[in-house]
Amino acid sequence: MPEDADRDEPVRVNFRFRRELAQKIEGNLASFCYQCGACVGDCPATTYSSGFNPREIMLKVLYGLEDELLGSESVLWQCTNCYNCHERCPQEVKPVEVIISLKNMLAARGIYPEVVSKIIGTFETTGRTVRITSAIDRQRAKFGLPPLPPVPMDEVRILLEPDTGTDEEE
Amino acid sequence: MKRFAFFPGCLIPARYPAMEFAIRQVLPRLGIEIVDLEGSSCCPDPIYFKSKDKLSWLAVAARNLSLAEDLGLDVVTNCSGCTATLSEAIHLLEDDILKKKVNDRLGRIGREYKGTTRVRHIATVVRDEVGYERVRESVVRPLEGLKVAIHYGCHLLKPSKIMQVDNPDNPQVMERLVEALGATAIRHRNWYLCCGKACQTEDIPMNMMHDLLTTVKAAETDILGMICPTCFSQFDYGQMKISKKFDEVFDIPPVYYFQLLAFAQGIPYEKLGFDSQRFKPECLLRF
Repeated sequence: MPEDADRDEPVRVNFRFRRELAQKIEGNLASFCYQCGACVGDCPATTYSSGFNPREIMLKVLYGLEDELLGSESVLWQCTNCYNCHERCPQEVKPVEVIISLKNMLAARGIYPEVVSKIIGTFETTGRTVRITSAIDRQRAKFGLPPLPPVPMDEVRILLEPDTGTDEEE
Repeated sequence: MKRFAFFPGCLIPARYPAMEFAIRQVLPRLGIEIVDLEGSSCCPDPIYFKSKDKLSWLAVAARNLSLAEDLGLDVVTNCSGCTATLSEAIHLLEDDILKKKVNDRLGRIGREYKGTTRVRHIATVVRDEVGYERVRESVVRPLEGLKVAIHYGCHLLKPSKIMQVDNPDNPQVMERLVEALGATAIRHRNWYLCCGKACQTEDIPMNMMHDLLTTVKAAETDILGMICPTCFSQFDYGQMKISKKFDEVFDIPPVYYFQLLAFAQGIPYEKLGFDSQRFKPECLLRF
């Protein structure tokens, strides 16, 4: 519950935030969370960081606590992407997928760690997550492997353009 | 010969060509023919690009899958990340609304995703199409007495309903594949732990890897058997960083399974690129 909520005040859910999240693929699954905590016991990020708890993140999503979830130092980046929570959740909330959808919202606001934006940039310019250099092709040649062919980026770039006339990025 | 469209991804062909070399050597000996998937891009990766925009991520994955559909072949992958992205894309695209959205994008480049191809990790192809017994028969240099700690990593197994590789709580495939080489597979206490490479903070992966390496060391194995190139980088370069940070000796050589298989099939040690690893599996030289 929001810390500033008075005992007598009704809880106010930020539905605008929840609608934005629901536009992302599998972003609306947190609605099915009944806060059982099955995701917590097997979460390595929870084991190694007191600040990370997938059950709490799902609760914040249910309230729509945008400021706590989408700040510049967002706890979401502590997720190890191990998929244990997806495996354990009896409601198929797929907490890791909700977290990735939240990261999509962070990206829409231009907030992500440097390492993440660097790899995304490499993919968006070359079609691969590793930039191909002549040194890489020389290494490949040692094993009798041909140079890596360029990716048809004309096609990939067209696919990355956002849809027009839809509510995708609202 | 059973034929598959080969999707090598980014990390293995660019950073670890020795792994690709081994795969290309090993598969024909097991009766598997691979056809290169021309025009493919990054899967795209399930950690970085997916965290920017899931719909674009899905559209690019669907493009890659449609290339295999053109060939009428199932896809074989060698990287757990590629396997995760492509398997999940197939799962998500069973939803008609999402499939239409993605096909609207693919329509911009004159392509369509139909949903006629399957994605299979190379380990499951060997398990299901070749069988452990035939792997055993292909070995000319049995690795008797070699103790191999098993590290599955996360994305090969989970989410199990989508990956459909093995039981994530008690998987068998790596152990059986290692045993088929005559070696001994060891499940150490933290065998199921994540390598931490996909976590974007400093401390969590460091402490997690320290715990992981501590139990691997306690198991006193000769090498670490790896199936994921991302985990491999955590155990090679990453292991060096952990040793420095904690001022402890961790020096267990990680070995990608298909390089180990190639070695057991008789390909010389020097040809398999082990010298470019930070921790070299010189223990193999006794065979």
